[in-house]
Amino acid sequence: MSGTLAKLQRMADQIALNFTAIGKDNAVLATADHIAKFWDPRMKAAIFASDLSILSPIARSAVENLRAGHEPPPQTGATEFNAVDEVGHSDAG
Amino acid sequence: MGYEPQADFGTPESRSDESVSLTVDGREVTVPVGTSVMRAAREAGGDIPSLCATDSVKSFGSCRMCLVEIEGRRGTPASCTTPAEAGMVVRTQTPRLAKLRRGVMELYISDHPLDCLTCSANNICELQDTAAEVGLRDVRYGYEGANHFAKSPDLSNPYFLFAPDKCIVCSRCVRACDEVQGTLALAVDGRGFASKISAGQASDSFLSSECVSCGACVQTCPTSALMEKSVKQLGKPERSVVTTCAYCGVGCAFRAEMKGEQLVRMVPWKDGKANRGHSCVKGRFAWGYANHRDRITSPMIRENIDQPWREVSWDEAMRFAADRIAAIKAEHGPRALGGITSSRCTNEETFLVQKLVRAGFGTNNVDTCARVCHSPTGYGLSTTFGTSAGTQDFDSAEQTDVFLVIGANPTDAHPVFGSRIKKRLRQGAKMIVVDPRRIDLVKSPHIEAAHHLALQPGTNVAVLTALAHVVVTEGLADEDFVRTRCDWDEYQDWARFVADERHSPEFLETVTRVPAATLREAARLFATGGNGAIYYGLGVTEHSQGSSTVMAIANLAMATGNIGRPGVGVNPLRGQNNVQGACDMGSFPHELSGYRHISQGDSRKLFEDDWGVALDPEPGLRIPNMLDAAVDGSFKAIYIQGEDILQSDPDTHHVAAGLAAMDCVIVHDLFLNETANYAHVFLPGSSFLEKEGTFTNAERRIQPVRRVMEPANGPIGQGLEDWQVTQLLANAIGCDWNYTHASEILAEIARLTPTFAGVTWDRVIAGEQLQWPVTDAAPQGSPVMHVGGFVRGKGKFVVTEYVPTDEKTGPRFPLLLTTGRILSQYNVGAQTRRTANSTWHPEDVLEIHPTDAENRGLADGDMARLASRAGETTLRVKVTDRVAPGVVYTTFHHPDTQANVVTTDNSDWATNCPEYKVTAVQVTPSNGPSEWQESYAEQARRSRRIAAEPAE
Amino acid sequence: MTKAERIASICAAHAGREGPMLPILHDIQAEFGCVDEASEALVAAELNLTRAEVHGVVSFYHDFTPAADPRPVVQICRAEACKARGVEALIDRARSAAGDRVKLKTVYCLGLCSAGPAARVGDRLHAWLDEDGLAQVIEQA
Repeated sequence: MSGTLAKLQRMADQIALNFTAIGKDNAVLATADHIAKFWDPRMKAAIFASDLSILSPIARSAVENLRAGHEPPPQTGATEFNAVDEVGHSDAG
Repeated sequence: MGYEPQADFGTPESRSDESVSLTVDGREVTVPVGTSVMRAAREAGGDIPSLCATDSVKSFGSCRMCLVEIEGRRGTPASCTTPAEAGMVVRTQTPRLAKLRRGVMELYISDHPLDCLTCSANNICELQDTAAEVGLRDVRYGYEGANHFAKSPDLSNPYFLFAPDKCIVCSRCVRACDEVQGTLALAVDGRGFASKISAGQASDSFLSSECVSCGACVQTCPTSALMEKSVKQLGKPERSVVTTCAYCGVGCAFRAEMKGEQLVRMVPWKDGKANRGHSCVKGRFAWGYANHRDRITSPMIRENIDQPWREVSWDEAMRFAADRIAAIKAEHGPRALGGITSSRCTNEETFLVQKLVRAGFGTNNVDTCARVCHSPTGYGLSTTFGTSAGTQDFDSAEQTDVFLVIGANPTDAHPVFGSRIKKRLRQGAKMIVVDPRRIDLVKSPHIEAAHHLALQPGTNVAVLTALAHVVVTEGLADEDFVRTRCDWDEYQDWARFVADERHSPEFLETVTRVPAATLREAARLFATGGNGAIYYGLGVTEHSQGSSTVMAIANLAMATGNIGRPGVGVNPLRGQNNVQGACDMGSFPHELSGYRHISQGDSRKLFEDDWGVALDPEPGLRIPNMLDAAVDGSFKAIYIQGEDILQSDPDTHHVAAGLAAMDCVIVHDLFLNETANYAHVFLPGSSFLEKEGTFTNAERRIQPVRRVMEPANGPIGQGLEDWQVTQLLANAIGCDWNYTHASEILAEIARLTPTFAGVTWDRVIAGEQLQWPVTDAAPQGSPVMHVGGFVRGKGKFVVTEYVPTDEKTGPRFPLLLTTGRILSQYNVGAQTRRTANSTWHPEDVLEIHPTDAENRGLADGDMARLASRAGETTLRVKVTDRVAPGVVYTTFHHPDTQANVVTTDNSDWATNCPEYKVTAVQVTPSNGPSEWQESYAEQARRSRRIAAEPAE
Repeated sequence: MTKAERIASICAAHAGREGPMLPILHDIQAEFGCVDEASEALVAAELNLTRAEVHGVVSFYHDFTPAADPRPVVQICRAEACKARGVEALIDRARSAAGDRVKLKTVYCLGLCSAGPAARVGDRLHAWLDEDGLAQVIEQA
């Protein structure tokens, strides 16, 4: 499990680092939003249960918020998805 | 459709908006200005005999067959070179013309072998047709004079032959190579009677020449001088079916020309809007894999991967798989199950696989190979533009003035579109290439990029920010565009960010290794050179900052006003035929078809009501996370359709460990691929020639895939298309699916997916080639996006901080490895390696700069050990200055090389797209295969054993 | 200087000219006595053309030869005007005068139609030739 957890921690830090340029508060929200929208429940559970102190400050705040049940509204265009009858948005690979 | 060649109008279509009317043989004809008299006559339903004219190349006027009489003009002008004019009165069939034409034809035939009945072009020969049209009955000169009869054919190309005795030197092949393909590999050698077609120089054959085997010359040859070997062997086809190529994302339309169930040849369909009648060596010729002896045609199972395979019935295979899935689900829950959809399969098949995973398995653990190629495109473009598909159609390139190609190699990986870029460059457009390697678009005959920014791998964001710095600080931004189309405040934030001195080309030069002056010139050219279009590929996305680079590209396009009209745009070049479609169909673990997040209650309800099941509201695992979870023991079973993750995904050791840890690996494929070495169930697949459905290309164009032969995976009449196999598996685990044709799945897709609302099977097979969205608002589809405004209102500028990758060179691994594709091979090579395309590329080689090679005592052709912190392999080196010092390059087409043993688990921060393009490595001389290669070869050999005794 | 370097410098000398290929090929023919396959490929690379394109041009013109021939060349016009003025009657004697030492090359018109039969050696033209005159030109070539 430790190998996977290290990867998850690295992912969270990497996400936070790439949001740093938008300012700390926004970056915390965007990181939390990103993890909420794209991580599977076991990944979330694993990082919730881990030692958050080794995470970067932004990643740590984001994970703490999520763990406390605060799921932010969409923070970037990439987490605004189509509504049920909407067209246009896509994230084709 | 019966078999008849497509109509040839003799000269290219004129795109003029103005028209002229003239009279041809008493019939009034109205044509666009610039149309030739020949084309006008043919559009009016008549015909003028011709030999050197064909509508794929400019008129030439050499054969003197197409002479006409025009009232008020002297002589008999050639109709191919005479433009139609208002009020012209043209006669195409008069006694005088008949005499002239017969005389010319007589000369042609005096030097042509009259073996028509045994000729491979019999009845598909324009010379024969034209001789018939002019009524030639006698050749007064006899056949004893000087002639070319004794010339022997050039058989060097594996797919076609050149028979000089059949050649009439009309030079259509030379002109097609020049104008359509842009390779200029052919010339007329000598002059007068001694003229002959020469591939390359005097001592060259077609194979040794510069020819890239695109087939344009063969397609345009009026005789059997250039002819597919398959036609020579099999004879004239008897019917043809329009279908879509199964290789890259260009999505070329082809006519599959058949004899019964035997494919005789694939010929590009001239009405295909993606390829406009052109093709490449893969789609045109490399289809032999479809009937290769390696095809597995029976389902197979085994208890564990140490055992040989046992061939079983479909029923037994499905029972075996269903029992294992049920047992795992009972013990570990549905989230221990998952699936991978294929970008090679049809929309319908992909849709069913994700439906099987979501509705049948009860989990969202479904992902697709776009994860490892263009997922950052999705993230980046949806953030900035609100939609991530390419903004243009391919025709747009015809109006581009400055191309900016970043991390893409279109002449190898998207050759048909590459030819269109080259054509536009020959017309005077400018090219800027951002690539660590000197690709052909930097310099090749008649092509020379204005600027080549040969950056250090991994510094895309820095280069793009520096380009933006120049645009903003030198006042080159299109502020009117930004004010009306984008969020002005966000623009100003971004402009302040990029204008910072630490983003100047001079400051970043040490990081990017791009000379600041060159970068400034490139930025000025892109901002001020007219219509600027950005095309990019996996050299952008497959980085730890792939998503950031895509956003930086979008920023640059918006800042320079290059969005929302023909000739501009941001265009991801998709690697595979149905990457776009696989993503549209809900293949990602977090979203349903039509890009609706799985957590949205009303979206989920739409599907739950239609499918009659409850869906998991939580996102599922991405491919790399599935493998992590497998190693951890929480992910136990996977159904993989048409993917070879062991060879294509990074960090092979980790992929192998993940697969080996699972209790049930189901591989559904044409061949026992590398992943199947770890499989317990093998389900034989059907090729793109054996099934019905649709592919969606990089332009969002939905095109038909047609069944022209029985699936090989069963006795006659019992073969199964891939969606039928998925349905068998679904029903074995308790679903109750009753699809009888792919069109019923398409109807379900249209019912559940707003972008596909107006798409029907009837429209698809009628050849409409619709580009989604196809809705009530856009019933004919949507060729160009963001014309009046961005899909989601204002375009968003996003600040993209350059974050260097963790993958750094050091004393142990001092070189940077980057990877890519070559023209003749395709991805993991499962298809192309099983064709004669291996003639051109029999093994993966490592390109290394002469200085680096010399420092290591390596000469061209030596074997070398390539090692990274993830693993090592051996391969042959090619010493070349195409790569800069410090950079090495290889392809990943061959499993013997296993380039991905070397690549690491680094990935894009937003999407986990692997960082294939940057790996710190060391290269040293080697004597033979690495330990891994040897043990892998042994494992693969043992794993591929099939028990001699059939199960029944 | 290697042949490749020499050809590169010939190409460089014509850089910027409109249609530089023919003058380059003439210089190469003059210097090496031929434009062989290797030279074609070098010119192609220098001018960013394909080998086939250069070969097409080289093979079109009689002035360019694929292999060097050390013999002196005498061009004899055998076009209509010189034929009318009797050049055909001079050919047998010319052949024996040439033997294996001199290469005779038939050309079609040297622009001396009123003064034929005509021949050319290097840049020097010879007109009003009769049997002896032509043989002499050949012997002195």
